[in-house]
Amino acid sequence: MVPLRIHRARIAQYKHDQLLREYLKQNLNELIQQKELVIDGRVKTQIATLDLPTLRYGEEATVLAQGKGAAGGDGTRGGRDGGEEEVQALGGLLGGDHHGRELRVELDFDEFVRLAQEVLLEEIHLPPLHLSAAAGEVESEDMPELDDLDRIGLRPDLNLEETMLQSLLRSVRERGMLDYDVDLRQDGWYFIEDPTTYRNHRSLEVYVLDISGSMRGEYLALVRKTIFVLWYYLERRYPTNLRRYVVFQDVATEKVRDDFFCVESSGGTHISTGFEKAMALLEGTTEYDKFLFLFTDGETSSGDFDLAKRRYEEALRRFDLICYGHVNPGGRGVGGFSEYVHEHARRHPNATFANLVDVETIRAAMGDFLTILTREQSRGLAAALRADH
Amino acid sequence: MDSLQRYAPIIERIEALARSRGLSFDPVYFRLTDSDEIAEVASMGLPNRFIHWYWGGAYKELVAQQNKELFSILELVLNTRPSHAFLRAGNTYLQNVLVIAHVFGHLDFFKNNHWYRKSNKNMLNEAELHARLIRRYEGKHGREKVEALLDALLTVATTVNAFERDPDVRRRRLIYFLEERAPLEDYERHLLQSVREEAEYFDLIQRTHIINEGWATFVEAELLREILDPQEWVSISVQLSSRPAPYTIGYSLFKAIRDGRGFDAALDARTYYEDVMLIQDALTEELIRRLDIFVYDPKEKQKSYDVQRVRDMLIDQKEHKGQPHVEVEVGHHRDLTLVHRDEERKLEAKRIALFLRAVHSLWRNPVRLRANGKVYSFDRRGFSST
Repeated sequence: MVPLRIHRARIAQYKHDQLLREYLKQNLNELIQQKELVIDGRVKTQIATLDLPTLRYGEEATVLAQGKGAAGGDGTRGGRDGGEEEVQALGGLLGGDHHGRELRVELDFDEFVRLAQEVLLEEIHLPPLHLSAAAGEVESEDMPELDDLDRIGLRPDLNLEETMLQSLLRSVRERGMLDYDVDLRQDGWYFIEDPTTYRNHRSLEVYVLDISGSMRGEYLALVRKTIFVLWYYLERRYPTNLRRYVVFQDVATEKVRDDFFCVESSGGTHISTGFEKAMALLEGTTEYDKFLFLFTDGETSSGDFDLAKRRYEEALRRFDLICYGHVNPGGRGVGGFSEYVHEHARRHPNATFANLVDVETIRAAMGDFLTILTREQSRGLAAALRADH
Repeated sequence: MDSLQRYAPIIERIEALARSRGLSFDPVYFRLTDSDEIAEVASMGLPNRFIHWYWGGAYKELVAQQNKELFSILELVLNTRPSHAFLRAGNTYLQNVLVIAHVFGHLDFFKNNHWYRKSNKNMLNEAELHARLIRRYEGKHGREKVEALLDALLTVATTVNAFERDPDVRRRRLIYFLEERAPLEDYERHLLQSVREEAEYFDLIQRTHIINEGWATFVEAELLREILDPQEWVSISVQLSSRPAPYTIGYSLFKAIRDGRGFDAALDARTYYEDVMLIQDALTEELIRRLDIFVYDPKEKQKSYDVQRVRDMLIDQKEHKGQPHVEVEVGHHRDLTLVHRDEERKLEAKRIALFLRAVHSLWRNPVRLRANGKVYSFDRRGFSST
């Protein structure tokens, strides 16, 4: 029998996470507005209070250091750019427990999104989504035995060939032995295809963001919060949806997820280009549920107005649903191109419009965006949202 | 999974070889475990220490580094009697042979080093006792109150000095001054003493980190040279010189002593020295250049290999855990005044208010800090500076 182990460090980590959540709650607005939200997969934070507040020297104080080529450093952080060659500060020639070292909070983007969703759901009073299992399904922590290459069973989506290969590589890496010792938690490799070339019947979500000069600060915060809340529901209901990202100002370009959250706002607004790029992403795909989420302040250039209208109408024919978010933090009313969409959305069954003024209006937007989604796709989610409305 | 039985013959062989070289040890229990448990113990310092969010953050950081394969802890050994050594199951057999030889170096150091002989070998039990005590106080006085107190205590606990015996000198260190004079309730003082005892246990480890790791690496090299075949030894000796700085600096210093004065002199150094004495005795300009250690001025982007400056800086790190040297201005006053002794190096301003708030929560009367050419204060109205 395996002896019961109390994971004190994990309990401590839970406490640390709670503090982090509290910090996020207080600073979400400031963090989420950063122009470059994600750098190398991590979110920039300045969380001095999550360290013990011991005294430290300032950045410009002299330090004991080592050339980076000399040895393996001391395993602690603190590299400084020494100009021609890299210099590693030797801050931790101490050992013992970690006490007294500067604890840096590295928040990866997925964790940030998860925590932000928790905070937002609470702030906007939206219901958490618990989808009940289909009849007869049970949940288990146990991993299934993997003793043959039969693809039928508990894990039909397991890529066995790749899993066995990963197991072998791990075994060589860790124990220097050529041995299959599959641990699904470490080696489990599932069928994951290149989303840009993969053709199947999964749904597609296209996010289009206006990054013209005016879309910054509060504007960006509102859009990002709305997207995070949308993700919360969509990824629980449709975990295999493909997501693609487009930004536009005078021209539109496709971005990968992290770059979509690191945009520099500048230039004019040509909403037509956003629709055009979104439709271009549909070329050659066979997905039958195609959703477009577009966020803009609606102030397209006067020369673009008619073209934008035509592109919008064209997009309505090609997408199954267009959710248009008019980003309007000052609550100055709905004008320009947004006014046109607002009118149109009332008449068109697969068009929705949301006026995003503050976090409260995100709640209304979810109702507008997701009830149509849910009416078409999921009675479960509709019920969950309605239950709290 | 590898069984510990597999390592029994090599443990026996290494131990016998070590004894034949004049080393001696207290009993040790080896344990084969996973990276997660090692990260857990490494982040908390002891496996059964009280739970605090700070260790949780350290644990998370370690696990993240291990997952990205940026860093991994190969071994861990506790200074207790009996001692406990953790071998990572994911290591190769050869890696664990290295670890075992390294562990015997630590065990010899724990038993024979003058400073370690005085250390608390019963810390596992005491840490457990402290953890239970904290749980009891949380029940009695409220978790939030106890957690806030622990935050403040851990903030000032870095001012311990496990080597200092003179009460007048000790009193200038903040934690001892607060223990003696702060108007704390009995349970608060009890917690302060618990935190201080644990901090002293780790202070000794920190003040001997270079000599301890250096000696363990030196012993590892000496023993493995006899055990491994020449090809294996060549690959290992390359690896020994690319380890983290405390290992390579300490190892180089011991090699320098042995090459200059013989193996017995190295044995004497392990018996009587701690980091400061080892640095003063054996760190030469030639070694500083070879190890590429220097004092770096980020403002001017300049390096200094001046032997005295490097030594002083190393010693200062040891004396004050790499943190600013702040002393209590001792007197029988209601207000507590702290003074930063190295005015040339500026303190990070944004931490000062938080630090003073923590000290104020223990002293409960106005607290002042003289640093950065200013006087910072914290009283019941809050933080200010002049």
